[in-house]
Amino acid sequence: MIIGRQVGIMHKPIQDRFKISPFLPLYVIMAMQIGIGVLGFQRVVAKDAGNDAWISVLGAGLIIHVIVWVMYKICETVQGDVLTANVYVFGKIAGNALNSFFIFYYILTCAGVLGGLIEIIKVWMFPELNTFVFASVYLLLAVYIINGGLRTVAGMAFFSLVLPAYLLLVFGLAVKHADFTNLLPVFDHTLIDMIKSGYRMSLTYLGYDVLLFIYPFIKEPQKSKKWAHLGVFFTTILYTVLAILTFAYFSGGLLEKSIWPTLEMWKIVQLPFIERFEYIGIANWAIIIIPNVAISLWVASRVTKQVFHLKQRKGVIVAALLCLGILMFLNSRERINMVLDLTALLSFAVSYLFIPFLYLSVLIAKKVKKK
Amino acid sequence: MRGQKLFLLLLSLMLLSGCVQKEVVDDVNIAVGIGLDKKDDQILGSVMIPVYKTDRSIENFTFTSKGTVTRDIIFQMSHKSSQPIVTGSLEVGLFGEEVAREGIIEFLDAFQRDPSVGARVYLAVVDGTASEIFKGNYGDRGNAIYLSGLIQQNTERGNMPLTNVHQFLFDFYQKGKDPFLPLLKKTQPDLVNIAGVALFKDEKVIDSIPTSKMFYFKLLVDEYSEGTIKIKADNKESVIKSLKSKYKFRLKKRSPYEFDIHINIDALVSEYTGRTVSKKVVKKIEKQLERQVASECTKLIKKFQEKNIDPIGLGHFAKTQTRGFDFTKWTEEYPNAEVKVSVDVSIAEVGVVE
Repeated sequence: MIIGRQVGIMHKPIQDRFKISPFLPLYVIMAMQIGIGVLGFQRVVAKDAGNDAWISVLGAGLIIHVIVWVMYKICETVQGDVLTANVYVFGKIAGNALNSFFIFYYILTCAGVLGGLIEIIKVWMFPELNTFVFASVYLLLAVYIINGGLRTVAGMAFFSLVLPAYLLLVFGLAVKHADFTNLLPVFDHTLIDMIKSGYRMSLTYLGYDVLLFIYPFIKEPQKSKKWAHLGVFFTTILYTVLAILTFAYFSGGLLEKSIWPTLEMWKIVQLPFIERFEYIGIANWAIIIIPNVAISLWVASRVTKQVFHLKQRKGVIVAALLCLGILMFLNSRERINMVLDLTALLSFAVSYLFIPFLYLSVLIAKKVKKK
Repeated sequence: MRGQKLFLLLLSLMLLSGCVQKEVVDDVNIAVGIGLDKKDDQILGSVMIPVYKTDRSIENFTFTSKGTVTRDIIFQMSHKSSQPIVTGSLEVGLFGEEVAREGIIEFLDAFQRDPSVGARVYLAVVDGTASEIFKGNYGDRGNAIYLSGLIQQNTERGNMPLTNVHQFLFDFYQKGKDPFLPLLKKTQPDLVNIAGVALFKDEKVIDSIPTSKMFYFKLLVDEYSEGTIKIKADNKESVIKSLKSKYKFRLKKRSPYEFDIHINIDALVSEYTGRTVSKKVVKKIEKQLERQVASECTKLIKKFQEKNIDPIGLGHFAKTQTRGFDFTKWTEEYPNAEVKVSVDVSIAEVGVVE
């Protein structure tokens, strides 16, 4: 808070009772990374590198650790979140202008994820589902969760990962129908193709930048480092294993035709008590998406509070309404894809361009201000 | 007061979200089997629907309709049906011979695109017409259960390699591999036989393997967990139950292509017409079976090469062993590839009598 006072922004230190334990960033980051993308990333990733794309998946995941390291460095230097850092580096007006971009960005993310879920429910289960009603109920739930503070949001992230974890076992039933020779020969594609696939994959991994916002809420942030890295690592392993299984289960041409390979793998599952497993899977996905929506709205309202001094309780409702408004326009696959692509692109720019740039700027600003 | 209002609002919203199309099991016609035949220029579709009687017996009811695409045919049928026809519980899809010879992939699109159709649905080609098969009454649990059971039972315990919608599409879209399906034939009014395996080139049936050769075919494309074959050694017949089999491909040379296929069989004797099954006899049976499998499998592969089809996936295998594999060159070279089959049989058990 020392720097905060120097540049004259009013950041009240956050009370300990609002803070989360150092291990919770693991769940927050994983929950944010695992959303709609995991249902259909395989086809997109395989476009360039084909059966070698799993290497790109692994590679793209490992690079994130560098970004996480940089994010911690930024937050440590300014002793606060990215909002503090922006104001610290760029001054109050430019900094806050930059900050308000995040409101837009997180509302759009929220709309994209929820829109994706609604599309899947419509295609796979109920074609007549009313978007407005479903989204309203869902957003109300998110608002309710956020009213409990970040601690509740983080708790929700924990449950939404732990409760549906059994879904992973179900993929084991697809192994019987998989042909792992599909992965051979390894390294059959050029490095350029692999990098292209890695770029596409990096869009699916996004979501870890939420760390920039929750940093001031972490008790003993030093201790949380290993948990944040572990969370990213688990996500990487999950995606890599899923990619390998998918490439073995689908032959090349068949994968090209599958929009949601992860869901389609469940079509082979037949359990004695249920004929079609996707219905359970998709219903579970509604739980997995909750933290995505809740965390996005939380960040949006948090930034609103910091920049516009609007109370967070009100900010959340405004953000949720804006999100609902955007959702009303997402009535076709093209539009949903457009929003998902846009948020992915923005997110990529934030993680791989803005964050390193901000780190350098913070270092320079620190040097200059010391003199 | 405020809390109460919010609660009521929430409750009403939740009630609203229940407003989606319901499908109550008693109020729909559950299509469990679908058959497609050629009739004049159009496709004659039949849909099998079980009617559950109060005395717990099941009657079979068949809707038929003409059309050009699968979904349209089902829609046409609904003109005749008092309840909507749903496809969520489909068990089997049958293709008449004529349809199968002209290609089935366009019909499978409906199976693939509709999320309510599972990937485990059995597909089969019918020697004759599918509607003819639908006309009979088989078993006491409904026709579809009978037909899917027929294929399932023969896949798990018999000489039929694993086939279903997923497997078919997997092979169809796999470069260097051609799909295959069971071939069914109606032999008696109340019985359907497995008449062999129908072999596809791309999406068209061009050949078939008779039941007598199915044992060797399965050895090449699938792993046996159970299966049976009769062996004649020294004029004495013995029946071998194959417990387990595994195959392994090896690419020995590239130009021209030379493959080694090694098949490993662990089996036991279940019937022998001679006096005693001594060690010597067992050795003889083993040797005889090895020779027989090697020659029959080689014959099968020769036949595939002549017809230029590749149901065992040698092309795919060659690709997995080669970086920058050229499929156009492979198609030219495949008929001239040399394939050697070596077999290793070990008979562990001779049953409870000697």
